[in-house]
Amino acid sequence: MEPIFWILSVIAVLGAIFAITLRNLIHCVLSLILFFLGIAGHYFLLHADFIGAVQILIYIGAVAVLMLFAIMLTRHVTGDEGPRELLGGKWWAGMGTAVIIAGLLWAIIRKDALAQLLPAGAAETSVVEIGKALVADWVVPFEAMAVLLTAALIGAVVIALEEVIRKR
Amino acid sequence: MEIIHQQLRSWFANAPDSVLLWVSIAIPILFVLSVFPGIFAYTTLVERKALGRIQNRLGPNRVGRWGILQPIADGLKLLIKEDIVPRRADKFVHFLAPVIAVIPSVLLFAVVPIGAGLIPVDLNIGILFAFAISTASVLALFMGGWASRNKFSLLGAMRAVAQVVSYEVPMVLAAVAVVMAVGSLSTVAIAKAQSGGILNVTRWFVFRPWGFVGFVLFTIGAMAESARTPFDIPEAESEIIAGYHTEYSGFKFALFQMGEYLASIAMAGITVTMFLGGYNGPGSGPGIFGGLLSMFWFFLKLGCMIVLNIWIRGTWPRVRVDQLMGFAWKVLLPMAIVNIVAVGFWHYLTFRPLAWVVTTLWLVIWFVVLTKLAATENVKPRTYRYAS
Repeated sequence: MEPIFWILSVIAVLGAIFAITLRNLIHCVLSLILFFLGIAGHYFLLHADFIGAVQILIYIGAVAVLMLFAIMLTRHVTGDEGPRELLGGKWWAGMGTAVIIAGLLWAIIRKDALAQLLPAGAAETSVVEIGKALVADWVVPFEAMAVLLTAALIGAVVIALEEVIRKR
Repeated sequence: MEIIHQQLRSWFANAPDSVLLWVSIAIPILFVLSVFPGIFAYTTLVERKALGRIQNRLGPNRVGRWGILQPIADGLKLLIKEDIVPRRADKFVHFLAPVIAVIPSVLLFAVVPIGAGLIPVDLNIGILFAFAISTASVLALFMGGWASRNKFSLLGAMRAVAQVVSYEVPMVLAAVAVVMAVGSLSTVAIAKAQSGGILNVTRWFVFRPWGFVGFVLFTIGAMAESARTPFDIPEAESEIIAGYHTEYSGFKFALFQMGEYLASIAMAGITVTMFLGGYNGPGSGPGIFGGLLSMFWFFLKLGCMIVLNIWIRGTWPRVRVDQLMGFAWKVLLPMAIVNIVAVGFWHYLTFRPLAWVVTTLWLVIWFVVLTKLAATENVKPRTYRYAS
């Protein structure tokens, strides 16, 4: 397990670094996909098969592809942009974010907060349990999310339609 | 894999367990990597022959009797061809795209049960894994089209992305119907749920109203997802040369073709597993003889699905871009959702004749309504927004 963990970690970290440092926008998205893949591998390694598959399905199959598609619909279709400065010189913002996230992670890992959150037997989460939790305990947030997403979708269509009408 | 491991352990009791484990991992991998590319090679021959007959030609008949050595000749030709990379192309991504085109297609075979108990990996989320992997294949098309720095390639890539994203939705929803009926995402469980009945045939999901609708939806979606001919607008020859692989030659081109064909064969395998009873057929079951028969039935059905694909390719015209999108979003998607409701009826109406009548009526009514709604829009005289 150890070598696989390190290989996946290297893949994920390299992907993340490339995603923010490469100049070409398309290359950035492709390295972001590499990062998503590394994370999906970690999920599989942790026996969270469902989340791993969903990670690939949603983040690579939908989010990243949508990003690529959105870039292709703009004028920067070649992805070439001039030399890019990381964070636009605001290095302190990046440092602050990094410190906060590192502190949070440290607190969670050190205190075994996750282990306390979960009962002992619940380590093996199966699709059945996730599904049952989703439509039994969490049905109201689930439905609220559905309504929210539908509203967002309709809103997007309305915004797009306005443009078409104005062009005519 | 587990079966091979146990079998090996019973045969070579003295050998160390780790060696046996590695061997039992290697055997399914070697099987997938040797058998399915072989099927791919001969699918191209069968396809060229069948298309030739459909178009009143003979098809390849020079290399070997009936042209049976044609795939080998093609492979050799593509191997020794010059590999041309456009000067302004993005060299790295251009090189990576054909490699990535093959990987998801091969990974798909990991969850296709080819016989009773014969599956490379029995994931408990098999179907979801298959969909997740198959969406990754669009990346290769995009990378190839974008890295070529060619207008036609880019157009092909854009078409490919739009098409795959659209057709994925009805395809996944069609599969949801089966998952609901079985209550499991595992491909093995889905195949097992279709055994029994008269001659191991009558329980196939294709012989249920919702199963039949799901089968049609899934077949169409799978065909569109692997960009086969009625839906091959990403590489429409008469419009955009060859789409995303315009700038590819030699073995890279072959890899693109291989990825496409392997994906369509794997999707045919998943269709067989989900709707056509998988490996179930007369006489299939546990034991050596039943296992061999189950493999025979699986590959026979796989062959039938491949021939069906070729047949549709040879006889149907390519759909227009706007028709393609309209078809996916206005007919297939609502039909898939209606189908999910039909499975609900099927599940709760335990009196079978009533369930048959209700689900059939429900599906037929919606089919008529949806096709009518979609059709009225197409018969209007064509208006030109930009070219008038």
